[in-house]
Amino acid sequence: MKKMLIIGFTFLFVWISCKGRNTSGASSEVTITLGAYTVPKEAYEKDIIPAFQKQWLEKTGQSVRFVASYIASGAQSRAISSGFEADIAALSLEKDVERLREAGLITHDWKNKRFGGFVTRSVVVIAYRAGNPRNIRSWGDLAVEGVQVLYPNPKTSGGAMWDVAAIYGAALKMSEDEQGVQDKNFAYQLLKAIQRNVKVMDKSGRASVTTFENGTGDALVTYENEVLLRVKQGREMDYIIPEATILIENPVAVIDKNVDKHQNRRVVEAFVDFVLSPDSQKAFVSYGFRPVDSEVAAGIQAKYPTPRLQFDISYLGGWDSVQTEIFGADGIWTKILEELAHD
Amino acid sequence: MTRTPFLRSFHWGSETTLRSLSFFYVGVLIILPIAAITIEALKGGLGPLWSNIITAQAIYAIKLTFITAFFMVIFNVITGIATAWVLVRYDFPLKNLMNALIDLPFAIPTVVTGIMLVALYGPRSILGGFLNKQGIEIVFDKPGIVLALMYVSFPFVVRAVQPVLQELDKDMEEAAKTLGARPLTIFRRIVLPTITTAILTGAALSFSRAIGEFGSIAIISGNIPYKTQVASVYIYGELESYNPQGALGLSVVLLICSFIILVLLNCLQVWSRKHEQVQ
Amino acid sequence: MNRFNDRIKIEHKPHRLGKYILIITVAVWFFVMILTPIFGIVREAFGEGLDVFMATLTAQESIHSFVLTFWITAATVVINTIFGLILAITLVKQRFRGKLFMEGVVDLPFAVSPVVAGFMFILLFGPRGWIGSWFEAGGIKIVYAFPGMLLATLFVTLPFVAREIMPVLKEFGLQQEESAYVLGASAWQTFWKVTLPSVKWGLAYGITLTIARSIGEFGAVLVVSGSIINKTQTATLHIHQQFTDYNYIGAFSAAIILAMTSFIILTAMQRLYRRKGVD
Repeated sequence: MKKMLIIGFTFLFVWISCKGRNTSGASSEVTITLGAYTVPKEAYEKDIIPAFQKQWLEKTGQSVRFVASYIASGAQSRAISSGFEADIAALSLEKDVERLREAGLITHDWKNKRFGGFVTRSVVVIAYRAGNPRNIRSWGDLAVEGVQVLYPNPKTSGGAMWDVAAIYGAALKMSEDEQGVQDKNFAYQLLKAIQRNVKVMDKSGRASVTTFENGTGDALVTYENEVLLRVKQGREMDYIIPEATILIENPVAVIDKNVDKHQNRRVVEAFVDFVLSPDSQKAFVSYGFRPVDSEVAAGIQAKYPTPRLQFDISYLGGWDSVQTEIFGADGIWTKILEELAHD
Repeated sequence: MTRTPFLRSFHWGSETTLRSLSFFYVGVLIILPIAAITIEALKGGLGPLWSNIITAQAIYAIKLTFITAFFMVIFNVITGIATAWVLVRYDFPLKNLMNALIDLPFAIPTVVTGIMLVALYGPRSILGGFLNKQGIEIVFDKPGIVLALMYVSFPFVVRAVQPVLQELDKDMEEAAKTLGARPLTIFRRIVLPTITTAILTGAALSFSRAIGEFGSIAIISGNIPYKTQVASVYIYGELESYNPQGALGLSVVLLICSFIILVLLNCLQVWSRKHEQVQ
Repeated sequence: MNRFNDRIKIEHKPHRLGKYILIITVAVWFFVMILTPIFGIVREAFGEGLDVFMATLTAQESIHSFVLTFWITAATVVINTIFGLILAITLVKQRFRGKLFMEGVVDLPFAVSPVVAGFMFILLFGPRGWIGSWFEAGGIKIVYAFPGMLLATLFVTLPFVAREIMPVLKEFGLQQEESAYVLGASAWQTFWKVTLPSVKWGLAYGITLTIARSIGEFGAVLVVSGSIINKTQTATLHIHQQFTDYNYIGAFSAAIILAMTSFIILTAMQRLYRRKGVD
């Protein structure tokens, strides 16, 4: 009996280990592992990946198998740095890609690539109920008492940091535009007033959209591409692009350590080039994104106007500065939460 | 129930094998992982870790977690005893169906539970809309948290009490009845002491479950810091925003608290069993 | 004797009303609290008709996720049953220092937030972890692959089997086993023929709970698996992906299959359990 148990255990152990082993494919097939954030899943899975597979097969006779994961940007960054062997990282914030470089997984200067290492763009917008009953025209209208605002938790949704950064930066930008100098106090008060009106902070941007669709909230702070995707999927959504808002830029990078291990650099770099090509950029546009390719962008200016007071993360000092000064332990947003607790 | 003395001279060899295997199992699956996160949490030093844990936000989150768990346990103990009683002592149509369905909350993924509760009691629903007008918020507020906890832990007390009630000898109750005791007194003096151990077991399981519950709470609560953010959601936020020290430190603190409560409940069980036997 | 019984029946009459009130209250509570969310899920899943329901269920990612859940659950049940038995026997029948501590440790997985549980295993078994680095050197992937997901599921379901068997073992005492030894049975024979049958029902219930929990596990597996489509997505992760993709029908239909599977297993258990009462 004891012998049977030992044999049984050994068998079980070997079986489980085999499940975990990396299997290398034949040379007529190559695998690319993609670690992405949630939002571009439709664009990649339905459009860009199939197009690349077709093109690569025609060009080299090799078939490409894609293994992909689409989870929150921060979570994906953590997964890749703690052992998920993705060949490509397509994330929401450049900070999440920087983290991979700091962990030694990316050894080249990824920002020195075409388009600065970015693949898609968007802007932060405000969605409201049909007919705009609360008369929402700009950020200030979200601070009005009684207006229920929705945005996800910046702590759990890296992408949601764009939303809060947009509000704070917009206030700075607007005061600078009006008075010639940034009014930090005004920005603080505006963010505080809006945060006071937030009753639900979902885990992710998508969850926020769902909560809004299910009847909660008068206004939803989200990304333009989310809204446009829902419209593409048949849901009506009314929204406004505020005059002052942040430009969202999403990075893509090859992960050298894993690519060298899998020995598929040629096809991986071809895929990144493909993703930055005009055809793919147009595909992204059809899913609500703004392109990084300026030529493609020029062609769609009417549908994707540039806000007059648009700024990007460098206006706020870059992600490291934003991380500490706004979301850090002594950060602006943290302090606002504390103050609101005593209201 | 008499206790027979251990006869340790038997199978000494297999005793040590069993013990080693047990230590290996618990060691690899529970103790080592917890040790790993404790060490990771301590990486920055004890001082920074402590200031990370005792942030106002963390303290509020722990308080909210324990308070909601406490209320839930009270509710579930009452409804659990009532449900078990009804299932064991009475006969009524569809009783077997209801008995089978008791375990349903265990079968539903917690995320789905959260979503359904929001759909049923949220602002768009009949009940939710009505309550909102009276000024009572269930969903996205504290009652919603208790509601979700009640749902996911519902079977614990019922299933713990049921078998004990079933085994109960009705003679003493019948005797008390003929002597004129009212049903409430009978329940309090005769039934309750016997099922106390089972209640405590169910309560302990519900309580620990509530401390760790995440999926349904993340959806039904507004998750607003200092208002509706429970510990598990706060920890998740800290983990996601690259503050693993704070997150893990708080987890370890929570674990220690739960562990103390569980050991206390275990001791209470041992004590109450001794008490039982004396009677 | 009959006159005696008549008097008891007469005493019962005013309590009959109380009995009905109790039954109705419990039934209504159960219906509103536990059942209505289920109806909601069903309604959502079939919202666009049967063919959409079937189409989403038979998509490749969907089928892969169910198969993966099956294998993880099967492996979890086998491992946790064997070790759960060993653990329970060790804790009940042996005396050693730190026994109460071990018993508390066994309950800990309930109290650990699932996200933290997943994180623990990444720390320990990731390519740079204490244990993981050894496996990494051998080319075996644990985290973001099947073994890691299995470990996380083993962790969250660990207490079930042990917890259900222990009270039964304690109740039965050692008399039967000691008689067996005296009559010359070996340790192994005693285990198979005396110990195991005595804990039959506790074991079966523990296994049932393990299955139900392992099917529904989400948080820990999400963190430890990376949710790689068609590779490390369990049924619950698939549901989560569907929600994220705004495919509510897909999400709810998968949820129904999961709930039904768990429910059928739980009900089958109930049937067997009732038959035990007849013995």
